[in-house]
Amino acid sequence: MPPRTCALCNDARAILKRPKTGQQICKDCFFWVFETEVHNTIVEAGLFKPGDRVAIGASGGKDSTVLAHVMKTLNDRYDYGLELFLLSIDEGITGYRDDSLETVKRNQQQYDMPLKILSYDEIFGWTMDAIVSQVGKKNNCTFCGVFRRQALDRGAASLHVDHIVTGHNADDIAETVLMNIMRGDIARLGRCTMICTQGEDTIKRSKPFKYAYEKEIVMYAYFKKLDYFSTECIYSPDAYRGHARAFLKDLEAARPSAIIDIIHSGEAFEVREEVKATQKSQQTCKRCGYMSSNDLCKACTLLEGLERGMAQAAITDRARKRLDAEGPAPDNLRTIPFFQNSTTPGTSTPVALETPS
Amino acid sequence: MSCGNPTVESDALMPRRKKYDKTRQCVRCKLSTGNVVIRYAVYCKECFFPLITHKFRRSLEPSVNERPQGPRRTALKPAGNLLVGFSGGLGSTVLLDLVHRCYVSMDQSTMPSDGGKQHPRHEKIWKRVSVCYVEIAGAFPGMQDSSPDVETLIAQHDGVDLISLRIQDAFDPAWWQRVAGRPALSDLDFDLTTEGTSPLTLLLSYPYGRHTELHLIFNPSSSSTPLEKLQAYLASLPTATAVHSTIQNLIRLLLLHTALQTQSSHLVLGTSLTSLAMSLISGVSQGRGFNLKEEMQEEWVPSVPDPAEDVSSITTRRRYVRVIRPLRDVGRKECTLWTWWTGLRVVAAVRPPWVGARQDIGTLTHDFITGLERDYPSTVSTIVRTCAKVAPKGEVSGLCLLCARPVQHGIQEWKSRISIRTRDVPDAGEQSSAQVPAPLAPHLCYACHTTLTSKSSRPPPALYPEISRSSVAPAPVWVLSFMTDREMFQTSRMNEQDQRNTLKDFLLED
Repeated sequence: MPPRTCALCNDARAILKRPKTGQQICKDCFFWVFETEVHNTIVEAGLFKPGDRVAIGASGGKDSTVLAHVMKTLNDRYDYGLELFLLSIDEGITGYRDDSLETVKRNQQQYDMPLKILSYDEIFGWTMDAIVSQVGKKNNCTFCGVFRRQALDRGAASLHVDHIVTGHNADDIAETVLMNIMRGDIARLGRCTMICTQGEDTIKRSKPFKYAYEKEIVMYAYFKKLDYFSTECIYSPDAYRGHARAFLKDLEAARPSAIIDIIHSGEAFEVREEVKATQKSQQTCKRCGYMSSNDLCKACTLLEGLERGMAQAAITDRARKRLDAEGPAPDNLRTIPFFQNSTTPGTSTPVALETPS
Repeated sequence: MSCGNPTVESDALMPRRKKYDKTRQCVRCKLSTGNVVIRYAVYCKECFFPLITHKFRRSLEPSVNERPQGPRRTALKPAGNLLVGFSGGLGSTVLLDLVHRCYVSMDQSTMPSDGGKQHPRHEKIWKRVSVCYVEIAGAFPGMQDSSPDVETLIAQHDGVDLISLRIQDAFDPAWWQRVAGRPALSDLDFDLTTEGTSPLTLLLSYPYGRHTELHLIFNPSSSSTPLEKLQAYLASLPTATAVHSTIQNLIRLLLLHTALQTQSSHLVLGTSLTSLAMSLISGVSQGRGFNLKEEMQEEWVPSVPDPAEDVSSITTRRRYVRVIRPLRDVGRKECTLWTWWTGLRVVAAVRPPWVGARQDIGTLTHDFITGLERDYPSTVSTIVRTCAKVAPKGEVSGLCLLCARPVQHGIQEWKSRISIRTRDVPDAGEQSSAQVPAPLAPHLCYACHTTLTSKSSRPPPALYPEISRSSVAPAPVWVLSFMTDREMFQTSRMNEQDQRNTLKDFLLED
């Protein structure tokens, strides 16, 4: 059989089949189409303006490694005028982050971007290893997820950036849409397909890979020879997400467009007005100043539970009542430093960046 | 980006709850020992029947009157007759039984005891109750024709008419003339009707190659039978998912047009809570997010509403069909118990005998939800309640030619932005004088467009080994009706010779 020509340029030999469209295309067209789709996503949503300081949430995994590369490429090619930073969170899981943080440090040198690494230990006084030793392998994802979100915001605030971009890809978003429908989380369902989320007092957070297939991200890294670490978390997985993920993989095998179709579905509906009226309004945590829908933010509640030896307090209603019954929090309780959103350089103390090794 | 790991045992993560909440006694009468557990609540057999009847009435009756009911309950006066969509499956068997008991045979045990025998609720609500059955055996070779069984079953229900259709009727101009009261092409100024066949042909292109467009063309020489057209249409579809969703869609439209024909203001379907959860998840997975509302309850108007028209008053001036799923609060388990305890027979097989069906998103969703419901019984209810809390976002740009549901504005631009399929820049000067077919994509909803164009990396086994897959397929008869409503004709560029031919009678020889 003669070699197939690329379906896009009709010139070069096709060497891959695009997971997203099934088209057989050449390597150069794949790079072009992948980058252009991300560019279209950024431009259509009006994510950035010239002079923005943007932190790339970098874990050293495939998504963030490719994101750093693509952001650098697009910033140069289309002259976005962005000042890019790398921001990493060290959860404190022995053997999990060590190697991938090395990847991030290499990216710092390759792309000449300043890097900031923040650890859970530094902010919350607890590593994930210590948390798991208290709460066990069940439910610890709640701690990790809540702490990571705050840690990223705090790291971004310390870098005085306007915007955090994360490597969430189309598979992640489709999975989240399904999961939120199945567990009835209407508030998250309403916002999980948004490309950019921003509360009144928080830093903008966006997902430029919102429409990029996980398989294509891996393919991009492979052809660009980008090295990354693929490490599964050694602690317990979220069972419900596992169900949704396995189902999504089956759907993708049956019809590859399913991922993008689910995202389209998620974007095509919104929470009804009368339901929105019943949702809690956003306020700030009375203890740490971070955004919250209750008096105490989730991270402060989790931390209080950990400090008082009742780690389930923020997870189940029954445990929360037991904690409340024990009386108010002691004065000497360890708390999270007060959150200040400072996006203007020079308004707070200079931040210590990682030195390129 | 998440830390989920599906390979680890799932049982270790979510502790199983006890099957029932408190005692083994019925939660309703609190006297008898329970016979069934419905989402952690125990019921006895005596209380089970009024419970299901109550859920059925609660889902249907608030939608019977033309205007939604106020705080005071008034008499039920529908604007037309009632059509029951009957598939022969579990849900529709229970639905037919309930409709017959409550509204045809007026079984006193299904009515609340208060109010006395003269109470308006004891009067018949519907002047005429019809049952429409669509036989799908024509779509799947080797599938048993269940229509004789259905006829026997319906004959046992006094006061109910049966309208028996075949899926290929969707391609039969004679059927269209019966339901629409006009021939398929009477409004078009094209002399294309030949031998009573539908002259319209849907031209499908190759979305994976150079061509990415779908077009409509007219085919005046078509002489195939409706069954041949149906099979050519299904054979042209790219995935098993497309075949399944197309058949569902054809059945839906056949039922809706039959409802109009029988002057039915209400079409009731036997979708149970479980089936509704499955169809919602399956719909979301196929890009039907904009039409989730219609999937729950639909007010179908057969033509495109005029934008200047007051939408709130459409139903008072136009013909409409209100599609209701009265079993939407009744799970599959309760339906099974109903048929078991009342001795009903389920006549039709659920799954067609086609191995390709295993790759269908509907089948995958069915299996997934079945497993999930076993481990977490509240999931199906959560899915339905969550979907009831969302509304479509964005503007409507008409009704879809294929499914006759609202089309979201701007979907083709969205698709081309996030999935680039060509590096070509369209050149206006490239057009030849040949006929340019009418583009179809702007008249399709996202899901129907995806159904026709999205391929699988593993093509399904051929549905009909003797029919070769073609990029040209016949369209259902109602597509033409929509086209005439929209004045959507195919266009062709007129060259000098064409112009001369048109004017030849008026031009003098040099």
